Amino acid sequence: MRFLLISICFLFISCGSYPKKQHLELSDTPLKSIENPYFSDASIDYVYKASIDVYKRNFSGLLIIKKIAEEQHRVAFTTEMGNKLFDFTFTEDNFQVNFILEELDKNLLIQVLEKDFRVLVTQNLIISNSYTNIQYPVYQTQINNKNHYYFFEDNELTKVVRSKYGKEKVRFLFSEIKHRIAHQIKIKHQNIPLEINLKSIIQ
Amino acid sequence: MRKVVFLLFFVSLAIQAQTKMSVTEAEALKTLVKQQALTTKTIYSDFTQYKHLDFLSNDIVSKGKLAFKTPNLVKWEYTEPYNYAVIFKNETLFINDEGKKNQIDMGSNKMFKELNTLIINSIKGDMFDDTAFDISYYKKDKHHEVHFIPKDKKSSKYIQAFQLIFNTKGDVIEVKMIEPSGDFTKIVFTNRELNKPLADAVFTN
Repeated sequence: MRFLLISICFLFISCGSYPKKQHLELSDTPLKSIENPYFSDASIDYVYKASIDVYKRNFSGLLIIKKIAEEQHRVAFTTEMGNKLFDFTFTEDNFQVNFILEELDKNLLIQVLEKDFRVLVTQNLIISNSYTNIQYPVYQTQINNKNHYYFFEDNELTKVVRSKYGKEKVRFLFSEIKHRIAHQIKIKHQNIPLEINLKSIIQ
Repeated sequence: MRKVVFLLFFVSLAIQAQTKMSVTEAEALKTLVKQQALTTKTIYSDFTQYKHLDFLSNDIVSKGKLAFKTPNLVKWEYTEPYNYAVIFKNETLFINDEGKKNQIDMGSNKMFKELNTLIINSIKGDMFDDTAFDISYYKKDKHHEVHFIPKDKKSSKYIQAFQLIFNTKGDVIEVKMIEPSGDFTKIVFTNRELNKPLADAVFTN
């Protein structure tokens, strides 16, 4: 009986929302929306040296992101030698594969990449809730109907967490931020062994 | 009418910049390049790579050194804006990505294998294989330009054409790989040294 009670308690705890588990305090904000500035300048060619670790294998190449119109981005990946592996177009409510190497043309992979890169390129986000984490603000937003939590430190976006059933699924970390460019970006998945590290080589 | 005049004007300009070679001229170039390839034991050269994507404002520029040794050792070493080296050796691709070492077995990957053969042949300039490519020959300023269009359907999905520029001695000074989308990779060779002794150790990461 006691065991059952404990289990029920655990069930309640594990079903708690992400902010609750992270001890985030609900707070008021006059803000209606927030901005991710890191891929928002249409005059910049955002080029990153990318290192991808997936299932104990490592791949590298160049991740290239360009804002081509309002709420429109191209995201392409090439090897260091210039061979294009994929090339996607993101618009506010659409996603298009312009090119993908036959060996990589797998639905599951494309879906993971689409979800991750959409977080990078989505510039304006509507706030559904706001919290504080010690002294810094955290904003809850939705991308593709999934909860995403945006963490700011000293007015700079430093972390985004995608959660599901109150659990962290993917973590995006932005660092070495200068002039609205994050020179280091890490995307870490918690439920699959996938980690993407990006280092800017913006010329 | 004015449009037609304009068009003619531009077409004649284009013809001036790049004229098709006669059959004899093309044969002479082929002989020269093949001769040069036969006597080339090693190549050591600086290169600048331009990756052109139509949607970007500027080409992505990277630089490094190329080492080649007969019959089939190739090393591309990028030093700017990052350190990255790739060695093509037998059936294996050895990668050193800023200290992180990796190997890819090309035996299982037809695309890499084809790429390797093409790279070796294009560095040596010896890829005049009529069965694999539709080849056309042009004169451009003092240089010779040869266009190779792959006949194999699988290759043509990735590469629409290779364009090689040769100097008067028959050395490749520029390689351009054009994708079906029109995006391309251009590699320009400078400070090329031929037949300088290169130890096998150069081709280890």
